[in-house]
Amino acid sequence: MAAPSGRWRRALGGGPTAVAVLLFAAMYAVYAARTETATTVFGITNLLNDGIVLAIASAGLTLVVLAGEFDLSGVAVIAVCNCVVATISTFGDFGWLVALLAVLAIGGAAGLLNGLLVAGLGLQSLAATIGTMIAAEGVALLILSAPGGTVADVIADSLTGDIRSVVPVAAVILAGLCLAWMVLKRTRFGIALYAAGTDAAAARLSGIDVPRTKLKAFVLAGLCYGAAGYMLSAQTGTGDPRASDALLLFMYASVAIGGTSLMGGRGGAFGSIAGAGILTVMQKMLFALGVAEFYTNVFNGVIMIVALVIGNASAAVAQRMRRRAA
Amino acid sequence: MSDSVPSVVGPSAGSVLDLRAIGKRYGATVALQDVSLTLLPGEICGLLGENGAGKSTLVKALSGVVTPDTGEMYVGGAPYRPRNVLDARAFGVATAFQELSLVPTLSVAVNLFLPQPGINRLHMIARRRVEQEAKAILGAHGIRDIPPATLVGDLSLGMRQRVEIVRALWRQPRILLLDEPTAALADRDWLFAQVAAAVGWGASVLYISHKLDEVRRLCGRCVILRNGRKVRDAAVAAMSDDDIFSSMAGRSVVETFVAVPPAIRPGPPMLRATGLRGPGVDDVSFSLAPGEILGVAGLEGQGQARLFQSLIGLHPLQSGRIEMRGKPAALRSPRAARRHGVVLVPEERKTEGIFKDLTTVANISLPVIARAARLRLISRRAERRLVEPITEAVDLSPRTLKLPIAALSGGNQQKAVLARALASGARCLLLFDPTRGVDVGAKQSIYRMIQGFAAAGGAVLFYSTELDELVHLCDRCLVIYRNRIAGEVPREALSQEHILALASGAGPSGQGAAMELAG
Repeated sequence: MAAPSGRWRRALGGGPTAVAVLLFAAMYAVYAARTETATTVFGITNLLNDGIVLAIASAGLTLVVLAGEFDLSGVAVIAVCNCVVATISTFGDFGWLVALLAVLAIGGAAGLLNGLLVAGLGLQSLAATIGTMIAAEGVALLILSAPGGTVADVIADSLTGDIRSVVPVAAVILAGLCLAWMVLKRTRFGIALYAAGTDAAAARLSGIDVPRTKLKAFVLAGLCYGAAGYMLSAQTGTGDPRASDALLLFMYASVAIGGTSLMGGRGGAFGSIAGAGILTVMQKMLFALGVAEFYTNVFNGVIMIVALVIGNASAAVAQRMRRRAA
Repeated sequence: MSDSVPSVVGPSAGSVLDLRAIGKRYGATVALQDVSLTLLPGEICGLLGENGAGKSTLVKALSGVVTPDTGEMYVGGAPYRPRNVLDARAFGVATAFQELSLVPTLSVAVNLFLPQPGINRLHMIARRRVEQEAKAILGAHGIRDIPPATLVGDLSLGMRQRVEIVRALWRQPRILLLDEPTAALADRDWLFAQVAAAVGWGASVLYISHKLDEVRRLCGRCVILRNGRKVRDAAVAAMSDDDIFSSMAGRSVVETFVAVPPAIRPGPPMLRATGLRGPGVDDVSFSLAPGEILGVAGLEGQGQARLFQSLIGLHPLQSGRIEMRGKPAALRSPRAARRHGVVLVPEERKTEGIFKDLTTVANISLPVIARAARLRLISRRAERRLVEPITEAVDLSPRTLKLPIAALSGGNQQKAVLARALASGARCLLLFDPTRGVDVGAKQSIYRMIQGFAAAGGAVLFYSTELDELVHLCDRCLVIYRNRIAGEVPREALSQEHILALASGAGPSGQGAAMELAG
């Protein structure tokens, strides 16, 4: 009796995430019905490329949100990384590698700084990361005072194309991201992350090092922002200290649509990736339906609220099922 | 062992735990001062004191959650300075916390092994193995009704408390700290068996409780704290109840329960429920007269919480009728219930009872704040005038009114919750375990308030996990078993044995069947 009810529970426990995935599928179907190229390798690659920066950044942000904190610095870190890639990646044959290591180092360092401010000094994360965000925006402008610079061709070519014209590179990266999350979620760190976000006091009494857990979450998020900055560079082929400005609210929207509680402790990166997918495919769908571009944000907002409402209902149903089973 | 004078001599030979002159301050508040204490191998020592006496701070110092400002601790003769729960665990010190330290969004199994549940080669939690091990551990401690894969948040409070206790027990610690372990637990025999088992493997137990009968039953010696200081350290047998109470309270407490004549009034019942059915409520009928204190008893998780919540419309009922003073009443929401004068004092004070960031006076005046308004602005003076007579009825000191309610002891918080219920003009109070985790002094205030409320013609439905409260305060007692009323014990026959027999589903004659209830 325990086994099937357990499986049911697990299937339904991801209520809001399942809703996000279904919404994505529905919108993709509309988009595909109206656009011939949508289901071709080219069309899929295109869609994935449009969404992958948001997906990686939102997945990183999810870790911090799960731990019960906020991180606003993401977009600014992405901007810094973009400017750095546009500046150094064309130096020599291994410029792409140096740039990759550099963005990971920058992302990790920014995450470490955030983590030390929040977990070490006990500052409010919303306030502290506004500080690091503004500082990082300044750094981006110091590196490139105006859009410019060049991203090495090898980066753009290898990250935005397809493998043997069949598998989009972005799909591989996305799959890797999902796999990493699946493992991470089930590690001791993953458990500690949820525990710290749910009830920090109980987590501490249970022997979990809450500050250390939060610090790790910020650092991992920073690494994701670095990777997102690298992907952004691959797509734009140039540096722009303001290229990622619009991303901040979309990151939080992805996280929320995906069913992660902004209070911490509930949700996961799958949902955020699905949320990023929804926001990306929606642009395509509205375009395919011939909706004028200036309506797009109206739909963005409406869809976000719809996703939250359905996700909420589904979570309630899932909990009732669980309680009945227990 | 039976010296009543606190001694500050060196580490006693053979002691497992030795605290010397421990002190801890929070700002201006002295939580602990000069507290010395030893535990001998295999000893069960009671730690008594009112709320705010320093018991919990002492437990937290021993568990590595707070660091004492002064004094030294030794475990097995070695200096003991734990910085967190894991340090304490490494020394063989384990704690079942009063506030329950389980993480609600994780499974029972994972909680048992936190922070290091078993992992596989990929460093992922070995879910099946962890759950199997958890099942074995729970089973070894006589728990078969809690599936290890269940999320802790989905368990009843009593179940959570058992899991909390097992989490402290299963590693077989040398020193076991139990902080109010029966606060939410109806099946105390289960706990006593666990404590006996722990002593069996040589553990020393520090047993923190408000319940004197438990301390008498388990402990050879007891230490009493008052205002952060140790005031007694003596053999339990050498002290009378009054002796212990007055040491705790710093004043003489003559009797815990004061018998008053029944105040039941004739006429239509204040509240009559007929054939109530809904999830967790199975054909419940009862009638509550004005002036009556009607007890409700039941072992943990028999549907009593659901019944209380359903009565004020927190959960919809499928069928059944509720009448107030002979007229049908639709109590479909807490607000509607309040309009009819029916108010619930809920189980979880911290999350359901108080607004922790508001002052005490604001917490009390909340339902009637409009009456303190002039031109829609609240007059602080009018608010105080409104609240002060009520605080007297519940024995809440006026100086607590301006403080944030979070700064109050559990007992005073509960008095404020009761005061709010009275302020809202309740005529029918539904009290769900109102004395849980409350000190002796506050308990007596609450008893007086209940009796006074009934004497003035109010009706009380009173659930308690403490059977002696039901026996001494109630005019009758309903016993709930598996969502139904299993029986009613009239005033003449009210006794703990009687209630227990019904509560375990054995019927009025079969006593001692409480043990098999677990399933």
